[in-house]
Amino acid sequence: MTATVSSASDTQWRDQFRRWLDEVFYEPASVRGAAVLRIVLGPCVIWHLRPFLADALDGITYHDRFQQPWWAWYPNAPEGLYVALLWIGVAAAVLMTVGWWSRIATGSAFAVVAYNLFLSQTHFHHNRAFLVILLAGVALCDNGRALSLDALRRPPPDDRALVWPIWLLRFEAAAVYFASGFSKLIDPDWVGGRVLHDRSVRYQNEVRDAIGDTLADPVLEVVTARAFHWVLSPAAVATELFIAFGLWFRRTRLVAVWVAVAFHVGIEVTSHVQVFSVIGIGALALWAVPSTRDRTLVTPSRWVGWLDWMARFDITVAPGASWCMVDRDGTVLEGREARQFVRTRLPAAFLFSRFWRYR
Amino acid sequence: MATTADAVAESTAPQSGAHRPLWRRRGARWFAAAVVVAQLALVANGYRDAHNYFAFQPFNESSTYAMELVRVLDDGQRVPVPNGRWEGYDWNELIDWGPLRSPWHQRHAFSGIDAVVDFLDHALDWMADNTPGDTETRYWEATVTYYRNARGPHVTVIRSHDREVGDP
Repeated sequence: MTATVSSASDTQWRDQFRRWLDEVFYEPASVRGAAVLRIVLGPCVIWHLRPFLADALDGITYHDRFQQPWWAWYPNAPEGLYVALLWIGVAAAVLMTVGWWSRIATGSAFAVVAYNLFLSQTHFHHNRAFLVILLAGVALCDNGRALSLDALRRPPPDDRALVWPIWLLRFEAAAVYFASGFSKLIDPDWVGGRVLHDRSVRYQNEVRDAIGDTLADPVLEVVTARAFHWVLSPAAVATELFIAFGLWFRRTRLVAVWVAVAFHVGIEVTSHVQVFSVIGIGALALWAVPSTRDRTLVTPSRWVGWLDWMARFDITVAPGASWCMVDRDGTVLEGREARQFVRTRLPAAFLFSRFWRYR
Repeated sequence: MATTADAVAESTAPQSGAHRPLWRRRGARWFAAAVVVAQLALVANGYRDAHNYFAFQPFNESSTYAMELVRVLDDGQRVPVPNGRWEGYDWNELIDWGPLRSPWHQRHAFSGIDAVVDFLDHALDWMADNTPGDTETRYWEATVTYYRNARGPHVTVIRSHDREVGDP
């Protein structure tokens, strides 16, 4: 009997997994999340290439400084070609942002950034590795179907395409948070606060320079206290692990997104991590459910349409009407409730909304 | 009768993956599986690799280091290199990379002390290969004193490969 129940459960589980795989690999869905990320990645590629270009303008390339090749066989571009490649990367980034030849532009930006990263191990930073991964995933996706000049020039019937690259990028993004959090969790120096405390003590002068002595005194009294890091370090580890897992589940996703935004802003303010914070926040767009216009909204105000970048709502603007929203499951919200729900689904507004009421 | 608009709409319509050739469908699955396995392998490798490339372990240490550099001449004489300058060469100009800048002062070990020592080791080799005007030095030796997460000091000695000395 037990064996029969177990076998039936296994079969059910296998069927569910197969259905999920078919959905991921064969069913077209909205690629708007990838389109939003493409727009974010464009300026980040330029930001990332900027120091290499600034050096090139001064006549300095990687040939002129210490370099540590990854592989002996990897082709070294002559100086002129290398500089030309950097400019091609910039041009591709501009085209990515405006969505002109979106996929080719994203692929080209990926090729340039990846080539540059693998020229020398000294070019490696975790944020650059994440940038390369995101560019690759977005290039694999038909990302020009939404929010692009391509879509304006040749409007597609809808914004759907195969979304397995988006699932792959979700895995990569979660892996980044997990790998970072888990490595710290199993390191007693990290989770016990020693690493962060030591850094805080060492860099206290920078805090003093940034905010002045009057403010710095009380701030430093707290952040250089050993006990503070007994709390902060485990909290930082828990935050990363929560984001890594919380993004996967619908009930925790919105909270995880909110926490992730706060986390990225926090590390950017304290540690300046090049493009990581921006691309990390941009990659959160990948977690939007890949279906669009599946909630109906009647609203008197036009601003919802302007801010609904993820196309969460099928909007009818009716001057003088009261707010009314019908959710995917048929739930009807009206008036203030509808307005508050809408705010939780708009990228520019959700941070200031009561998101916990509408998970 | 099909119009141009129909043709454009058809060409841009989303295609279900089920209509794609079998090799493309299987290829996508194998590719995705390979990426997942490779990423997990890289994350695991980060616990072995000093540089933890693609293992995403940022801010892993608060370690610091400082380095004393000497030139060892053909006759075995050891000549200190104060502030990284000798015979018209300058460490900071030659190496020109933030994490290894001015290592004679105490510096934060970017990406961990093991990664920095490995880079310093390669930097000495690189210097040996890229200072043709220095016709005296047989090899460079660096004594690295470091504190791993504020514990220490620990000392390790690294050196460049030998090179021919004589005419440039």
